[in-house]
Amino acid sequence: MATPTSQVPAAQRPRRQRESGPGVNFGRVLKSEWIKVTTIPSTVILIATTVIVMVGIAALLAWQTTFLFDAQSNPEMAAQMQGAPDAAEISRDIPGSGLIFGQLLMASLAVVLIASEWGTGMIRSTMVAVPNRTSALLAKQLIMAVISFLVGAGSALISYFIAQPILGSADLGFSLDADGALLHIINTGSVLALVSVFAMSVGTLIRNTAGGVVTSIGVLLVLPILVAIFGGSTEWVADAARFLPSSGGEQMVATTIQDGDFNQWQGALILGGWSLLLLAVSLVVTKKRDV
Amino acid sequence: MIEAQALSKRYGAKTAVDAVSFTVHPGKVTGFLGPNGAGKSTTMRMIVGLDNPSGGRVTVNGKPYAQHRAPLREVGALLDAKAVHTKRSAYNHLRAMAATHGIPDSRVRDVIELTGLGPVAKKRVGGFSLGMGQRLGIAAALLGDPHTVILDEPVNGLDPEGVQWVRHLAKGLASEGRTVFLSSHLMSEMALTADHLIVIGRGRIIADAPIQSIIDGQGRARVRVRADRPQDLLGSLAGEGVSSQILEPELIEITGVDARRIAEVALRERVLVYELTPLQVSLEDAYMQLTQTEVEYQSHDLPNVQDAAEQVPAPVEGR
Repeated sequence: MATPTSQVPAAQRPRRQRESGPGVNFGRVLKSEWIKVTTIPSTVILIATTVIVMVGIAALLAWQTTFLFDAQSNPEMAAQMQGAPDAAEISRDIPGSGLIFGQLLMASLAVVLIASEWGTGMIRSTMVAVPNRTSALLAKQLIMAVISFLVGAGSALISYFIAQPILGSADLGFSLDADGALLHIINTGSVLALVSVFAMSVGTLIRNTAGGVVTSIGVLLVLPILVAIFGGSTEWVADAARFLPSSGGEQMVATTIQDGDFNQWQGALILGGWSLLLLAVSLVVTKKRDV
Repeated sequence: MIEAQALSKRYGAKTAVDAVSFTVHPGKVTGFLGPNGAGKSTTMRMIVGLDNPSGGRVTVNGKPYAQHRAPLREVGALLDAKAVHTKRSAYNHLRAMAATHGIPDSRVRDVIELTGLGPVAKKRVGGFSLGMGQRLGIAAALLGDPHTVILDEPVNGLDPEGVQWVRHLAKGLASEGRTVFLSSHLMSEMALTADHLIVIGRGRIIADAPIQSIIDGQGRARVRVRADRPQDLLGSLAGEGVSSQILEPELIEITGVDARRIAEVALRERVLVYELTPLQVSLEDAYMQLTQTEVEYQSHDLPNVQDAAEQVPAPVEGR
């Protein structure tokens, strides 16, 4: 493609001065990463999808719970449904009920944002501009974690308000200051934030979008299923499984804590511990490896 | 100013760059010339800190690249075209790069204008031709108005107008007192653009000299001779430090003595000479001579192509 090129004489170009302009600092790197995150179409698409899916699942579950409530209110049917969870208990979990899908989508976005830089070669531009590397990665992690938190907590809050009229028809409504309700909503965001750090660190280490998505989804969502299938009979597996990142996340959004289970804060320590460990490893490795 | 001291890069058992030392001075265009795989790109990546050297060190404007407070204002580098996210527009790419150094949007628009990217600036980079990608890379390199400009194969994929533009740009930047370091595997391009040449082959510096002295230094007199008894002629010249190459039974190339001397000897020995052509050494030839033993990936003529070439009369040489 032939393009007219303006040949600006040297004298008209901005004059050069020694050590003239501002240098790199974290605020500027943050702004740069913000521009990068918001100028890729997949970001907007995945965020919108996440919110729609999470709210949709919550609305469906709320609707379904009203049927369960009706059934349990009927003494005859309730007798047949012995052992089934109580509708009132389920209704408390509704705001964050789309969390699994939220994790799937936001973990994918986190991996895509970093691994696509390697895939496209953009990472070389990034690291030439920010040669200490760590601040570029931290800025991206921070932006993605904040976005994930807002998507998670926001979706849960919207879900709450959409679910209330549906639940109200069956007398299952509850207020935001009900025991644990607000923490459940906030922690739906916190889980997504920590999961995004986890996934982005995996993406940083693997440097490949497909590999990063498969690995992080595998650890976060498939591993607990495998453990449930094969580890049920072995006690030490069940014990160890409580320390999986996914188990930590589950406890963070739990509205009722069973005896002997970790509480919300302990759950946060487990998931947060995994995320921070991987983050630290990814920073050290990226600092050392050639780009 | 770029200074490399015993800079090395090894990948496992393979040495890509082998203890090279050189200095690239401001105020002129320095060409970095070498065959594919000679270590040009690896050296340039080490200069801007993307690859860690296995040994030695390299500084830009007195400091290792990563230690500069505002690296993009010190060094602008085009390392490979399309070090850009394909889904992002050229404008947003440059804006993101500029943001790291607080470079204003006006400068982003300036470099877009300067590189002729205006009409496509808002389009996604994924759809760019190789030439447009190169222009974007050059725009990114110029963002910080840097003192040192490093361009790796900048004319790759550019149209003739673009090639000429890069040539003007490089010379213009050098004339403003900046350090300009550009790599190429094309000798002819370097002959037109560079003031100074660093020639690299298999990771080693083969030559580091002003372009004219590289032409002169390698340009030993070479003469093509057609004679009826070339062996006798060579025998008589043997004492004079010549080397020769027999191309055909009656066609030889003699290096080391000039045409007049050959004619004298031929007259004395009564050898019939029916062609005596002094061959001028082009920069291309000088380069081939310098690097012929240093080529990493040597190509060989296809057998049938060679046969065909033998039937065609030898092209007229001597430029």
